[in-house]
Amino acid sequence: MATNTESGEIEGFGQVSRTVGTIFRYLLVAATMFGIVMLAVLLLYVANDAIQPSTADPGWYLTFFLALVVPSVAVGWTVRRRDRGAFGFGALLVGMLVVSLMFSGGVALLVIDVVPPLAALAYAIGIVVPVGFAVLLTQQAHRISFTPRLAATTALFYLSLFGLPGPIGAAAGIPQIVPSLVGAIQSIPVIPVDWMMVTAVVGGGSAAAIGAYVASVRDTRAGLYATAAAFAATVVAGALGPAVGIDSVPAVVIAAIAFVPTGTYAWRGAFTEEGSPLGLVFAVTVVGGALVGAFAVNVLGFAGPQSWVDWQFLTSAHSGTAENAGLYPAIGGSILLMATVAALSFPLGVGAAVYLEEYASDNALTRFVDVNISNLAGVPSVVYGLLGLGIFVTYLGRSAGTVLVGGATLALLILPIVIISSREAIRSVPSDMRQASYGMGATRWQTVKNVVLPEAFPGILTGTILALGRAIGETAPLIMIGAPNVVFNLPNALGAKVSAMPLQVYAWSSLFASEDFYTKAVPAGVVVLLAVLLAMNSVAIVLRNKFERTG
Amino acid sequence: MSEQNRDEQRTGGDGSADPTDEDMLVQTDVSDSVSSAGASFDRDTVVSAEDINVWYGEKQALQNISMDIPEQSVTAMVGPSGCGKSTFLRCINRMNDLIDAARVEGDLYLRGKNVYDDDVDPVALRRRVGMVFQKPNPFPKSIRDNVTYGLKIQDKGGDYDEIVEESLKRAALWDEVKDQLDESGLDLSGGQQQRLCIARAIAPDPEVLLMDEPASALDPVATSQIEDLIEELAEDYTVVIVTHNMQQAARISDQTAVFLTGGELVEFDETQKIFENPESQRVEDYITGKFG
Repeated sequence: MATNTESGEIEGFGQVSRTVGTIFRYLLVAATMFGIVMLAVLLLYVANDAIQPSTADPGWYLTFFLALVVPSVAVGWTVRRRDRGAFGFGALLVGMLVVSLMFSGGVALLVIDVVPPLAALAYAIGIVVPVGFAVLLTQQAHRISFTPRLAATTALFYLSLFGLPGPIGAAAGIPQIVPSLVGAIQSIPVIPVDWMMVTAVVGGGSAAAIGAYVASVRDTRAGLYATAAAFAATVVAGALGPAVGIDSVPAVVIAAIAFVPTGTYAWRGAFTEEGSPLGLVFAVTVVGGALVGAFAVNVLGFAGPQSWVDWQFLTSAHSGTAENAGLYPAIGGSILLMATVAALSFPLGVGAAVYLEEYASDNALTRFVDVNISNLAGVPSVVYGLLGLGIFVTYLGRSAGTVLVGGATLALLILPIVIISSREAIRSVPSDMRQASYGMGATRWQTVKNVVLPEAFPGILTGTILALGRAIGETAPLIMIGAPNVVFNLPNALGAKVSAMPLQVYAWSSLFASEDFYTKAVPAGVVVLLAVLLAMNSVAIVLRNKFERTG
Repeated sequence: MSEQNRDEQRTGGDGSADPTDEDMLVQTDVSDSVSSAGASFDRDTVVSAEDINVWYGEKQALQNISMDIPEQSVTAMVGPSGCGKSTFLRCINRMNDLIDAARVEGDLYLRGKNVYDDDVDPVALRRRVGMVFQKPNPFPKSIRDNVTYGLKIQDKGGDYDEIVEESLKRAALWDEVKDQLDESGLDLSGGQQQRLCIARAIAPDPEVLLMDEPASALDPVATSQIEDLIEELAEDYTVVIVTHNMQQAARISDQTAVFLTGGELVEFDETQKIFENPESQRVEDYITGKFG
């Protein structure tokens, strides 16, 4: 603009003022950091109250510093300089161990206090058998047409779960003639030992998943070996557990949910062609360091911090004194609520998303639905609580505050979020692929089943987990549907009263607001809640990174 | 509506294109349409279009296209961008049905059956007409699953291993991928991916193979491989290929149809005649680069 070529000098290469730009840039930095810093300060404050790090012996810190931090940093730095990928794998492996231990805790809680092992075994068999038949039938798809296959599968499920004539007959007054498979198993005269039944259900499921994973990495043979090895490891854990002071049932669960999958992942990352054992070295250093540190402080007699988040807090119910109060029924309640929410919102949400993206034509109704789903995602949760109270309790006459009502209400709450994120994932499937499928003569259903859903699945799963993370923190809807602030036992049926972690924290902070509850139990509850939330979100993030389209 | 258009076409058509008397005799059915001027081939007709008009919303993309495509040969469609050649290709297997705004009028016969009849299921039609797209679009599945996709969705039996080998051999890809059939189709190079798409399209043994600029996203080496492949495929299949590469059309096709802006088919004849002695001045200008 200001070039003056007539003077003969070459101008216009000097400094241009950037004052406004610089100010703007730093304002943006401040805006970015403001929320994060505020939250970090709050979390540090809460964590300080909950864990009380200042109460530990200096020797305790020194021991862990020498055993855990120094070797981890040294090994980690070396590994990272050699091979970034291996370092990432090692870090992921440690994270996986921690998160899977948390998940195994949740599952252990379910099989110990919620579902009787015999019922779990009966339902597992009662579902696996018809599913197996359905798979066999599907393999004969070119010989048997769809309708008889559907009829046979439905009949098998009905027989297996309800028997003949089942609830339909009971409604008509016909007595049960053929017992269901589930009922038959539950009435067998000889009841196997609990931990063996848990091994069959949890260990069997875990071993099957491991086998499928290994088969996808290597081949079918390796998959079968892996299944056998995983199951054997679970059985061994159950048998040896009592010798090291862990009951058989939790030992089985921890082995099946935490150690076997982590071990398989470690094998894959360290000993297959594309892997590197360096990452495993790092992971072993971290875990070994933690174990050595724990052992050393025990031997040397250094006291750790007097944390409020301790074993007692995690395994006992609410009590009149803050010292004895715990979060156990609330943790279990939250897990059951999440299972119900996932079971309800996932099929509904994904179904709606598939319909809106793949089937619905662009008309006034679709646009109306579209706008309203976006609006519903922003409706305050207390309104959903009112909706749940109105529909499920008042109108349908369910008793207030149960797992089913709470789960259904929270499912309604996150349904719009699940739909929106699933639609996003489905929309990101390249239209090239749909065209290719249609061009091959695929029907819409075949295209959705074979191309769209497999491609969109990781995104759908990530969105659903993040939405569940919102549901697990909700308090207002649970208060609205009349969930009790305090329960002393885990709910053992869908119709049982349930509390949840945020509700328990709220109760401690308001109803039992003595000094100790307010300053100790509440922060401890918040820390546990956030830990569970972070574990769920970390699964979502890992899934997203894992399946992110490359190239 | 369709009938009315056809009449308009008939009255307006004779003036602009000038078919010879001989052509009038040979082409009994669509003789008086502009577009098939001069086009009569000694092979049997597989695909026969009669007065196809396509609109995208208000905009007309194809105007009164009529042409007879002979079997077991390569028919190239050339023309500038936006002239409707891809649109016409997608009329043959009714892929335009998938676009909400698209409206097709006219008749298109595949072996004597009008594919726009009410009793024709477009899905069944697409099982008889394979398609290869401009951009290589293998599924994110293994190479084997890519090739067997059509067989699986069509519930076709048979020895899949044999069909996979046969299809990949015909697509000239077998030697390069025979040891990695279980690896993802997306791990292949662009040219290999396109040949995989061709193998996928021919595995269910379609009657007609449509190719929408199959080499335009590829480098010269891969392009020449695809071209050799197309010539070989024409021994068994009726291949209809859209290209805007004139040399490519001249190299590989037996017949060439020239579409020009506005969605009209200006000339359709033996490739040699189109390139050496076209009837229409506009076609000559386009082919020699003096686009007018």
